[in-house]
Amino acid sequence: MELSITKNATCTFCGCVCDDIELHADGERIVETKRACILGEAWFKNHTAERLYPDALIDGQPATLDDAVEAAAEYLYNAHLPLVYGLSNVTCEAQREAVALAELIGGVVDSHTSL
Amino acid sequence: MGGKVTCTLGEVKNRADLIVYWGGNPAECHPRHFTKYTLTQKGKFVPKGRKDRTMILVDIRETPSAKAADIFLQVRPSKDFEVLTTLRALIKGQRVSAETVAETGLTLEQLQDFAERMKKARFGVLFFGMGLSMTRGKHMNSAALLSLAAELNAFTKFVAMPMRGHGNVTGGDVVMRWTTGYPFGVNLSRGYPRFNPGEFSTVDLLLRGDNDAALILGADPGATMPQPAIDHLARIPTIVLDPKVTHTSRLARVHITTAATGISAPGTVYRMDEIPLPLRPALKSPYPTDEDVVRRIYKAVAKKPAWFPGTK
Repeated sequence: MELSITKNATCTFCGCVCDDIELHADGERIVETKRACILGEAWFKNHTAERLYPDALIDGQPATLDDAVEAAAEYLYNAHLPLVYGLSNVTCEAQREAVALAELIGGVVDSHTSL
Repeated sequence: MGGKVTCTLGEVKNRADLIVYWGGNPAECHPRHFTKYTLTQKGKFVPKGRKDRTMILVDIRETPSAKAADIFLQVRPSKDFEVLTTLRALIKGQRVSAETVAETGLTLEQLQDFAERMKKARFGVLFFGMGLSMTRGKHMNSAALLSLAAELNAFTKFVAMPMRGHGNVTGGDVVMRWTTGYPFGVNLSRGYPRFNPGEFSTVDLLLRGDNDAALILGADPGATMPQPAIDHLARIPTIVLDPKVTHTSRLARVHITTAATGISAPGTVYRMDEIPLPLRPALKSPYPTDEDVVRRIYKAVAKKPAWFPGTK
């Protein structure tokens, strides 16, 4: 299969956020990471586009995305002080949505910074 | 950032002639920091690159980063605050007793030399890592280092920058700042943001058992947090969004698989100097992005009867 080449790709493993990486991918996995450091290379090669896990799990059992979203909404809606935590390895766009959700459910929003 | 004296990594690359790393190990944790931004690059005002720059490493043990340093200062564990305070006194020409300094594991001569080098630098930068900000003294250590950087500006140009770890933890601070006014640990339970680290920070909340549900995204607290905090996450309904089934997913009621940020999910990520950078994903994921899933949960909650503070 022909390799797709992504130039100036951005690595999000550490806080350096190097944005000069050249990635060669075969559609399912990244096979080459030019200019990436040892940590970046492991990061890129460790994540594939394969379907390795179920869409969702409810109580450890495979479930559909729709059911999982409903279950999540139910738990968060019913909680008195829900916590929204993490926000490290997600985009700013996802972080913005998470803050909006925390406001809607009247919860606490926090990141790795507080550790 | 509360008046932090700082700059971008581009300015460090082009101007810095004195680079101090404090409580961090960039050689192993940020491998391209030296070569891409700080030490070896030739800059506009440091044309000879490494030859024009001096690097000082302050740490409690000799890490692989020490090989890159011109001067390595080994501080006795949990004495960083004392060293920083002594340096602040020395740059102002105040008297410091040699016996007090000896407790830190360094000599007065070493610190006098350090203080002189900082004052004589044309452009100095203090990078500080978790070895400073997460050990005894915690945020007071960071505050002392930031004060040192600010006070050095009476003599020369000096800045400070935290060595941030995981990918977009800087973005988390920035996004929470522009949405709520505070950088982390924001409580919205009264319908308006309240900020109080120690009270509304995650580990403290979980240790006290204050939360009765949790949504975890872009983190794996099941692998990193103190055990009593993990135990509480297992007791309450926890929901995890992650590209993999993680330690936290195993103790959660709901896990939703999402696309991996930057590999198969597009968006924006902040570098440690608060420069936003676009992602260029190389793969197409069969899973939705975190952004999509959080928005779908938002819509599902929004369909339910409205909630007002004090009604639950």
